[in-house]
Amino acid sequence: MSLTDKEIRKQERSARLMIWMAARSSRNKTFIDRMCRKLIVRATTVDPEKDFMRDPLIDNDEGFDPDELDRYQRGETA
Amino acid sequence: MPAAAPFNPEDIANAKYTERPVKEGVTTKKLICAACDIACTVVGEVQKGRVTKVRSSDNPIFRDNICMKGIIAPKGLANPTRILHPMKRVGERGSGEWEQVTWEEAMSDIGSRLKKVIADHGPEAWAVSTSQWNTSTDHGLGRRIMNHVGSPNWISGVALCAGNTAAVNRFTYGWFPFGDFANTKCIVLMGHNPRRHSWTPLYNSIRGAQAKGAKLIVMDPRRSSSAERADIWLPLKVGSDAAMMFGWLKVIIDEELYDKEFVKTWTIGFEDLKKRVDEFPLERVAKLTGCDPEMIAEAARVYATSGPAVIPWTPITDMQRNSTSGIRLQTILRAICGNLDVPGGELLQGFNPDIINESEIEMHHVLSDEQKMKQLGSKDHPAFTYRGQLPFREPTKRVYGQEYANLVMGCHMATPSETFKAMAGEGEYPVKAFFFLGNNPLLSYANMPLIQKAMMNQDLIVAHEQFMTPSAQLADYVLPADSWLERPWLHDMFGWMSTVRFSEKAMDPPGECRSTFEFWKGIAGALDMPDVVPWDTLEDFYDYRVARTGMTWEEIVQTEVHFKKPAFRTYEKNGFATPSGKVELTSSILEDLGFDPLPYFREDPPKDPDYPLMMFTGVREDGFFQTGHRHIPEMRARHPEPEIYLNAKTAAVRGVKEGEWVTVENQLGSIKAKLAIKDAMPDDLVRVPHGWWKPEMQQGVGHLSGALDYGDSQLCRDDADFLDREQGIPHIKGIPCRVVPLVADAPVKAEAKRPVMEPAE
Repeated sequence: MSLTDKEIRKQERSARLMIWMAARSSRNKTFIDRMCRKLIVRATTVDPEKDFMRDPLIDNDEGFDPDELDRYQRGETA
Repeated sequence: MPAAAPFNPEDIANAKYTERPVKEGVTTKKLICAACDIACTVVGEVQKGRVTKVRSSDNPIFRDNICMKGIIAPKGLANPTRILHPMKRVGERGSGEWEQVTWEEAMSDIGSRLKKVIADHGPEAWAVSTSQWNTSTDHGLGRRIMNHVGSPNWISGVALCAGNTAAVNRFTYGWFPFGDFANTKCIVLMGHNPRRHSWTPLYNSIRGAQAKGAKLIVMDPRRSSSAERADIWLPLKVGSDAAMMFGWLKVIIDEELYDKEFVKTWTIGFEDLKKRVDEFPLERVAKLTGCDPEMIAEAARVYATSGPAVIPWTPITDMQRNSTSGIRLQTILRAICGNLDVPGGELLQGFNPDIINESEIEMHHVLSDEQKMKQLGSKDHPAFTYRGQLPFREPTKRVYGQEYANLVMGCHMATPSETFKAMAGEGEYPVKAFFFLGNNPLLSYANMPLIQKAMMNQDLIVAHEQFMTPSAQLADYVLPADSWLERPWLHDMFGWMSTVRFSEKAMDPPGECRSTFEFWKGIAGALDMPDVVPWDTLEDFYDYRVARTGMTWEEIVQTEVHFKKPAFRTYEKNGFATPSGKVELTSSILEDLGFDPLPYFREDPPKDPDYPLMMFTGVREDGFFQTGHRHIPEMRARHPEPEIYLNAKTAAVRGVKEGEWVTVENQLGSIKAKLAIKDAMPDDLVRVPHGWWKPEMQQGVGHLSGALDYGDSQLCRDDADFLDREQGIPHIKGIPCRVVPLVADAPVKAEAKRPVMEPAE
């Protein structure tokens, strides 16, 4: 690797900032927390047509009906 | 499942990430999915006291970390065949005759019988197979009790999947690093193939890095989906990964592409390494790997010069006769190319100081050195046993603040094959009591015939399980286990990473299902040592573990994640956690154990003309995790039968056709499977699916719900030519075999008589 010490230290500062923002964003309570979350959302949002995580199985999932799950658990439905 | 059939691509194109509004009558819980071992942070939607939907997290740092196994969980865990009450065997072992008992009755009898085994044969006669990865709420409590009792014989699937990688990484630099995908410029996948529905967060990270310009290099005999996306694909011969890395090192050292300053200041053994690498000129590497030498050289240059690079953990090198050397070569590439503990490289994170880690909970210091040295496998294959890992006590204390670091639980294990030999009466001493939790040993380790013999030779077998697996069918007690929807979870990535995450309890467990915490607390009580697990509830235990944060469990679980303050190049302060304090390119510990201190390459044994093909196994199918999920109709609809893959040319030579039932055979055994023709497979290579059984088939000895028909562990050899020397783990990436048409009694009938144990139908 051919990075200079100065470049590495810059990357280290940037990486520390990312973790700090991730922690604030996860807490999501104060104004700064919410601002961090918005910035992370913006930074990580991918153009829909390039979004490799879009998946019909996941995106169309509607979950289950609780009563149906009860019946299933009792062996009344398949 | 979910997924409504018609799918409009426009819906997806217009999809935007938004925080979901709370629906009427629905409460949400922050969860960590345990449908597989990767632990995605997700959200559970709860209605009428049960989880009805699992969706991805509202937190953007965990966005889209969800797969089909996660969203089907509410139904999969409500399956009518789930075990809901403690069951005691009343007929012969494996007869399928059970009676329902109470937890108290079960624990009392188990305690008495385990005490008798210990009195008759010593504490080492008790073995346990599990991992925190399987059970989530073990947290090292099993090891803690075993250490107090005096048994070192804990085994786990992590012996050939990540745990052993962690142990071997320590030989070079004292810890197991994790890649910084957010900042990396190059990723090298060695046979690993993360997909949208398998290793989802890793797939997400790799695709994200690629989108930001990172290069992707893939080594894989198959043209996998990752290979198709790669900048460079090296279609190497199965099992030749270590030889390929020698080729990379030859190029990197000869062309001086390594980090000279780091090598000079922070490594020992570079000149010896250079001599060993010189034994691998590219012409030889090309012959061993089957790859073009120019392409090998180009890949090496891209890895060494792209900027900080990551070689993520891969199960492929965990499962080869050159496993120790292969893993060591990865560590050496990371180190000499300057990728250790720098942004975009691979971070030596250490423990999170705010959380009491599982290695502390395990209390390895209470197990005497005499008992530690009795650990099965220590003598011949010590790498991840106490004998191989105890020399790290002082360096680990110096760098990470405590003597024992059971990273990914893989650093103080017995060797599985040696343990099963002892259980079968063929080892150095008898093992007569065997517990397994969230684990299906018959299908999870090599050499099923040996494992079955071992289990049939036990005085006491206890299973803690959700479903009646083939292994559970051979138990004396099957105790009902809860699930990740039904209890909280503190997830510390098993010491691999310093980030800690939290999961809420979303619903009550059905029937009498209990957590692993409650299981071990019961065992401690039954062994007259209740003080070893002094906490009344799992929540009390978590209060103890998070106390240093200044928060209670109830408070911290709302924060979802707890980071350690990031640090880089931490070795500049305390050195590396090795005996020398340096990166040991020549390992002093391996040398002291009597092994070659440098990596080396063992070629395949001479070919047997009766078995002209090579097979690999261990691959996960998207709908399943290991041996699980076969009971879920939606998952089985995707994978109704076990399928092997061949290319058309090889199939034609063998006289087998697409969709036909075939047998795969070798010197150890045979399995049945359907044939799928895949042009992405190279000539003469067979992909065998991992962990197959069919819950609907007949249970008990002689049947084992189809495990005897389909279970790949019947083909996984553990004789000397097929074991890694240092670790004693099996070579399952390149086993000689043959494929022949199945002419008799095919297809295997799924409709068997209803098992005696089948609940609720």
